[in-house]
This record gives sequence, structure tokens and C-alpha cells, in this order.
Amino acid sequence: MKTLFPYRTLFGEISLEVKEARLDGKLLPLTMISVMERVVALHQIERDDWERARVVFRMRTPEELMKPDEWADVACAAVLAEKKTNLRIVTPLKRQPDGSWIGVIELHRDWHLGQAEVEGLVTATVDGVAGRVIARTERHWTVDLQVHTPTRKKTVKTLWADFASDDNPYLNPYRMDPWAIEAAGDEPIVYLNSGFEGLQFILESNTRADRAVQDTLAGQIATDCWTALFNTATYAIDVEDDQPQWPGGWHESVLRRMLPDVFPNHSPDDALSEIFERRSAGEGGGELQTQILHAAIKQARTSKSLGTFIRTLRTIAKEEM
Amino acid sequence: MDDSNDFGIWLGRQLRRQGMSQAELAQRLDVTRAAVSAWVTGRAVPRLEKIRTIEEILGLMTGSVMTLDEVPDSAGNVVWYHRPAHRDGGRELGNAAAFAFDSDLRVLAREATQNSLDERWDKSREVRVRYTLHEISGERLYRFLDALHWNDLEAHYEAAADRSTKVGRIIANGLQELREKSSLLLLRIDDYNAYGLDGPEYGDGRFAAVVRRQLDSLKSSTAGGSYGLGKATIWAASRLGLVLINSTLAEPHEGRAARRVIGRLDLPWRQVGDDAYAGPSWLGEPDAERGGTACSWWADTETVQSLELTRKSDAPGTSFLIVGAHDGSGEATTLEEMHAALVKGLAESFWASMVSAEKTKPMLEASVVALRDGQVIRPEERVNPDKYEPARSRALRAFYEGSTVDELTSADAVVKTTVRLGLPTLRERPAGGEAQPAEHDAILLLTPTDGEDDAPNKIVCMRSSRMTVMTRTVSDVPMGAPRFQAVLLAGVATGSSASDAYAAEAFLRAAEPPEHNDWKKTDDLTALYARGAVARINDFRTAMLQEARRLVRSSERKSDDGPAALRDLLSLDPPPIQRIPGFPTVRQVEGVIRGDGAWQVRVEIRLPEREDPWVMVPVLRFLTRSGPKPRAQWAEIVPESGCELVDGELLKFTSGGKTAVFTGVSDVTSHPVTAQMALAEVDLMSTKETAS
Repeated sequence: MKTLFPYRTLFGEISLEVKEARLDGKLLPLTMISVMERVVALHQIERDDWERARVVFRMRTPEELMKPDEWADVACAAVLAEKKTNLRIVTPLKRQPDGSWIGVIELHRDWHLGQAEVEGLVTATVDGVAGRVIARTERHWTVDLQVHTPTRKKTVKTLWADFASDDNPYLNPYRMDPWAIEAAGDEPIVYLNSGFEGLQFILESNTRADRAVQDTLAGQIATDCWTALFNTATYAIDVEDDQPQWPGGWHESVLRRMLPDVFPNHSPDDALSEIFERRSAGEGGGELQTQILHAAIKQARTSKSLGTFIRTLRTIAKEEM
Repeated sequence: MDDSNDFGIWLGRQLRRQGMSQAELAQRLDVTRAAVSAWVTGRAVPRLEKIRTIEEILGLMTGSVMTLDEVPDSAGNVVWYHRPAHRDGGRELGNAAAFAFDSDLRVLAREATQNSLDERWDKSREVRVRYTLHEISGERLYRFLDALHWNDLEAHYEAAADRSTKVGRIIANGLQELREKSSLLLLRIDDYNAYGLDGPEYGDGRFAAVVRRQLDSLKSSTAGGSYGLGKATIWAASRLGLVLINSTLAEPHEGRAARRVIGRLDLPWRQVGDDAYAGPSWLGEPDAERGGTACSWWADTETVQSLELTRKSDAPGTSFLIVGAHDGSGEATTLEEMHAALVKGLAESFWASMVSAEKTKPMLEASVVALRDGQVIRPEERVNPDKYEPARSRALRAFYEGSTVDELTSADAVVKTTVRLGLPTLRERPAGGEAQPAEHDAILLLTPTDGEDDAPNKIVCMRSSRMTVMTRTVSDVPMGAPRFQAVLLAGVATGSSASDAYAAEAFLRAAEPPEHNDWKKTDDLTALYARGAVARINDFRTAMLQEARRLVRSSERKSDDGPAALRDLLSLDPPPIQRIPGFPTVRQVEGVIRGDGAWQVRVEIRLPEREDPWVMVPVLRFLTRSGPKPRAQWAEIVPESGCELVDGELLKFTSGGKTAVFTGVSDVTSHPVTAQMALAEVDLMSTKETAS
């Protein structure tokens, strides 16, 4: 813990859980709520037109909080914040007879873009200052409006598309390419060309024989993908008060995954500054690109799959001799 | 006898059986010839005493006329009639129609069975087609040749067996085989639940269309045939050009229905004795009215038996007996091989007619049996479409049963989609004058096929007859797409009875060549339809392939997740926290706010081991909820262990050290807010290489 508290805080831990969730009054199936992952998935294919979601949270606090003469003006709240919209809603939680705290967070569909984080806070008056945070939940809950399975696992979206088709005019220029990477916008997408002879066959084959080729090919695609995403993400780094800021969203995810390999001796924050400076200094060349490719290859686990592939090839060659 | 027409038909037949002309009867009855003619045509009925005389003249019992008894049938009445050669000296050295086809057994099975399907009588039940290969020898052969009046034929065969012509060679070989082996191969094709050869002897009707005419087809608009060429294959399958016919009629003719028999021989031009003959010959009763031409007769059971023409049941239909059968392609030579070739040919062309939904009857049931002198060599095999065409049969059955799906999901799913066929306008508007439909949606069924299938990725196309018109290979199937079989149903085969289905049926039939094995540009097509008809056919051919490709391609789209192999490599989750990070980290911070408002902190640091000493900048920041964290300055930094101070603000850690501790006091003037009002943190930043 590198944080310094200038006032006394709660010693014990607090926890937050989702009791239930409703879309326009209809109960959400529990399969849409994952306690393990701490995700509420609000995207339901069958109900795409909801307007309001109500999520009931329950907080449990350590006993010391309610001990007389220990803390003054204790209050609990669930705070919902969405980075992209800068929306922040504080919902007071009411103390229940059993000692837990319950409150309902209401989400309006058109107020949000994608993911909102919910954390629990406990405030009290400390040293004469009212409303100081004396405890917060370690792990946030995520309310995700765009997924229909409650998981935190995020991957780059891959889509099969026929690059030559009239339905995909934006892919037409790349009709001869096996894949294309779209690193713009809210969500990066790897397009795989279903019109490219054999690509789908190899990538979706279930036979052991094709495994080596499949992994190598996937590794190649992933390497390209990470390289493109990283380079895009570096341009998403903003500076405030001379400090590079984590860009959030997928850009941040990409940077956090790759920076440790690009600058293995730097802390993430340092690496962020470093990459920002190199970029703004126009030092996109030589050494940095080598490092970026190295990080991408590591992400894509290319070395392993390629090694297997070469060994397989040599085995086949021997058998044919 | 209340029906003068019945009497007339009866009288005409009795005269034929006696070989007596109407003129001769008139003379013996002392009436005018016109009177006899009026009786025969049913315009008048003779007076009673004349009837007695007629019975006498015909050698019948008194009262026979009332019951329309037959004159006793004697095979002696049956003769071969050979058509004389043309007076102008023209010679035909064979039947041109027979040359339009390959004369192999597959084609024969296809054409003959097609005729049977077209002639199905009771539409609620299947037409049954039985192929019997029968090799006869010994007494059985002699009896057969006797009944056939072989002795009267031999001279004609000798004359026609001219090895310098194609037909002649075949005949010569047939004769040679018969003499050397003393055996004869008969192939009998029976259909049951078909109309039979009804209609008059010479006028329009099924009988004349098959027996008397060339290139005449008497078929409804949805039939598979359209040129009447198919029957030529039956004669072509006989080395001796000889086919015997026994038909049971669904609609009685001349008051009779069973065992209408006639033989027809197709020989090229030949000279026998002083006379030249050309074209067909007929075995039958001489027709005195037509100069001795042979016509069909109502045979007795014994005659039918010796001619190997006995039918298995009373069900209406026709038996064709091909005398001296052979496989024109020369591939099948033994009885067993021919049996196999027929079964295969039937399965290939007619599997669709044999498929039906559960608990319903198919259109066709076909079987093949092989015998030698009455002994079974190959037991009767009923052609089972599921055995020969499992995938296609499954597709069609699913269509009948309505169990098709929109997307390939499982190995036995059948996908249904449509293929558009543009319908061109007819050159002449039909009499009704109603508007022609402009398009028709054919149905395409597609289903995965198993690894055993050695000819996958084909579309078989058919119309109402359910006969495979053409088989097309779908090229450019995406690699790794499931292997499949597809069936295209056009016209009435789609189950539609709308006008567009019939228009499509007619259009496609016009686009079929005589063999009915393709949809392409034909003379009929250009004769019947306005410009653009050929383009419509070509578009249709292209569209069906594209649709098939689309189906197998779309079936591969399983989900948005993309390939699993790739998914694992594209995770955006935060990287796992390294147990031992590769850079110096703050392990713990303790701090108090001094009386003057400055933070006094003690910081423990963990270091990754390395030769090269780490140099870092300790940083104190005030926390914010978002945005940059404002930095505060140090008033002083005091190294406690494992490190030293460099340039007044850098910490240089001991080379190879694992931990270090330093203390520090913040510069109050640099605080963004008073220390009590915000959380703070201490962190380490790497020095800028450029600064050093």
C-alpha cells in the first residue's frame, strides 16, 4: 500500500453485492449476474428495448462501524461512475434490521454508453470534517450494458466478413487480404476475410493435423493485431499538467498489457510516460519498433506456435523421405 | 346388345381375326359394302337374320353376337408383316431416332421408366416398374422362337445382317450369339398402375404413339418426355431390333383390356427374295382392311406365356420384351453386370421418385431381377433410394415432411432456400390471353453428406417428373465447408400449383434436349420464347451455384467470438500482477502530518536484483478522483538503507540490493491542498535518460 491517509479510517473490510436487478420491472435472470466476476450483464437479446434498469445493492460493514463512540454520522453509499460519460451517481444505502445496507441504483439506458463501475463507500465525520470516506470496497462491480454474459473477460472482437461483398464496402479495398484490423473507435475489430480461400477452414478446423498451422496463423494475426492496437493506443495518451494519462477503455487495456514488455524495467506509469515522450519526440523509429514487435509477439505467443509448426513440418518431411 | 358401337367394334375385330375383309363379308351376306362399313363403324346394326348369317360365316355359335363372344384365337392367325420398300428407291438403313441416344442400359432404364412415370394411372399410388433380365436356352428358347415365328424372320435377318452398316453389324452379332450360344437374353420392362397402350390401332392414342409412330409423344405438359424419342432406346437395346409388347389397358378398348399384344421389329432396308423391305415390321393379326398390315391382337394366356410376356397381375400397364438385349456401351456383359447396371441407373435417375414422406406413397417403385431359364440368379432387388442416394433422399424427404431448416446446424439438417428463375415471354400469347408470370422461385435443398460420398458438392435438378435432369458440380466451395448434396426442385416439383410453376415447367422442358439431361439453349427454346430466354436459363444456372455456396458459407458462421485459436491470443484483460515486478516498487508507506502541515513519510522499497544499480525519483502525489494527481515537492529525502541520494533528488539503490528504505518530508508550500484534506501516495519514477 503506497497510499497515505491523513485521517483515521475503518479497519475492517466492507463488501458489496448485487441482490437483484430488473429491466423495466422485469427481474433479470440470475445467470446475468456473476458474483464471482462482479458483473451485471444488462444486454438481453430478447429484450433490447428496455429503458430503466434497477439494480439492488447490499453492503455489509464490519461491526466496529456501528460501535457507539467509534464513528460519527456514518453513512453508506453505492457510487456508480462511468468513465466515458463522466456520469457519477451516488445512491445512499439504508440500514436494514440485520445490519446490512441496501439501496437501489437506477440506470437510464440513454445515460450510459457501455460499462459503469459501482463501488461502495462508507463515510463518517472525522476530525470535524463531515463526509470523509473511511472505507471503500476493494473490488468494483461492473454494470455492463453491452454484454449478455456477465464476464469481465474482454477480448478483441473478431468477425468473419467477406471482404469482397457489397455489404462491407469499407472492406472492399482489402479484398485480397486475409485479415484487416480496425483500431478506430470504441471497439477494435479484427476482420477475417471469409472470402479468403482456406482461412476459415484452417482457423476453425478441429483436427489435430491442422493444429500447428492454425496456431501459427492465429499467432500471425494476433501479432499484427497487437502491433496495430498498440500504435493506435499510444496516440490516445493525453497529457494533463505535463503528466501522461491512461486513456481508459481498450486503449488502456492494450497499453497495460504490452508496456511491461515494451519497457520491461519500467513501472506501468513510467512506461506510459516513456512511450508518450518517444512518440511526441518523433522517435517512432528503430529501437522502439523492435520493442513493440517484441511485445506483440509475446502477446500472440508466436514463438511457441511457430516452433511447434516448424517441428511438425520437419516431421512430415522426414516421413516422406 | 343395346350398343351398336360395341357390335361394330366386335365385328371389325372378328373380321380381322378371320383375315376377312369387309368387302368379302358384304359379298357373302349379299349386302352392299357400305352397309358392312356402317355396321363396323357403329352407324347401324344388321337385322337379326343377318346376324345369324354372320355367326355362321364366322363359325360362331348361335347367340355369340349377343354376348360378343370371340372367334377362337389361333396363333396361326398371327403373322409378320414387313413394310415394303419405298417405290422411289429410298432406303433407310436404321432408325434415326435410335441414334439420338447412347444405347446403354442406364439410358434405357431412364427413358423407359420415365415413360412409365408419365403414364401413371392411379395418381394416389405409385407406378411399379419391374426389370427382368432373363436368359433362356434349350426348350424354353425353342418354344419362344416358335411363338415368335422365327422361321419367317430368319431370311430377313440374314438379309439385314450387313456388316458394312452400323445397324447391320449389331444384328449380325446378335444372330451369331444366338446361334453359337443357343441362348437368348430377354429384358422385360413391366409397369403396373400405368395406363397401358390404349386407343385405336392406327389413330391417335397411346398405342399408336408407341407402336406405330416415330418422334411422336403423347404426353401431358408436365411429363418428362417431349419428343417421343425415348421409346427408340427400347428398340436400340435389342440386338435384333425386336420388341414384343403386352399391355393391360386401364381404359378398355373394343371392350377388352387384358393382353393386347403386338410385336415390332425395326430392321434396315433389305432385299428378301425378289422383294425389298424397309423400316418396321409388325407381328400381329393381318388387317385385311389395310392390305394385310399386322395389328395388335387380344392374345390368350398360352400365347402370352410362350412369348415370355406373362404379366404378374391384372393391374393395368405395359410389358416391353426386348429380345436379344445388350448393353450398347459394352460395359455390362454378364447377367450380373447388367443387373447391377440397371439398379444403378434406376437409382441414379429415379431416387427422387422413390422417396416419399413417412406414411405416404412415393411416385415410383422399381425393382430388378435376373433369371436364367426361370431360375433366379440375382434375386429381385427393390431399388432403395436411401441406399444409393442417402443425402439427397434425406433432403427431399425433409422437404416433403416440412422439417427443413434455415441454417446448417447438424450433420443431418436439411436447409431450404429459393433460387429465382426469370420467365421469358412466349412468342405467341396463349389462347387464354392471360398475363404470363414473370418469375418462379425454385427450391434448393442442401444437406451435409458423409465422408463415404465420393462425389460430393453436387446439385441435382429436377422438375415435376422428379427425374434428375442435370447434375451440376458446385465449384469454388469455400475450403473446409461441409461436403454436401443439394437438390433443386423447379416448376410443379416445388409443390406449388400456381401459374408460375406451370410456366416454369413448360419453359424448362423447352430448354431440355431430347435426352432431358440439361437445361440449355435448344431449338425449342428459341422457337417458343422471345429473346432473352437463353439468358434467363444461364442466369438460373449461375444463381443455383451461388445460392449453394452461400448456404455452406453462412453455415460456418458460428458466433461473433471468432476462432477459438485466436480468441485466446486477443485477451484485453489486465495482465497478471507480477509477484516480483521487474522494476522497483513501493512496498509500504507510513506517514504522519506534522504540526507544520508537512507529510513525514517512511518508505520501504522492493527492488528486482540487478548488477546495474537502479536510479529512481521518489514522488509524492495528492490523490484525486480523476485526472492527473498533483505532485508535491520534497523538503528533504534521507536514505535509510540500501540507497543513496544523488543530485539532491534521485535515489541510487545499491547494486544487487533487494530492499531499501528512505524517509522524507514534504515541502508544504508545494501542496495543492492541505494535507489533511486529501489522500496521498508515494511512488517511484524512473529518471529520464535524457536528464542524465
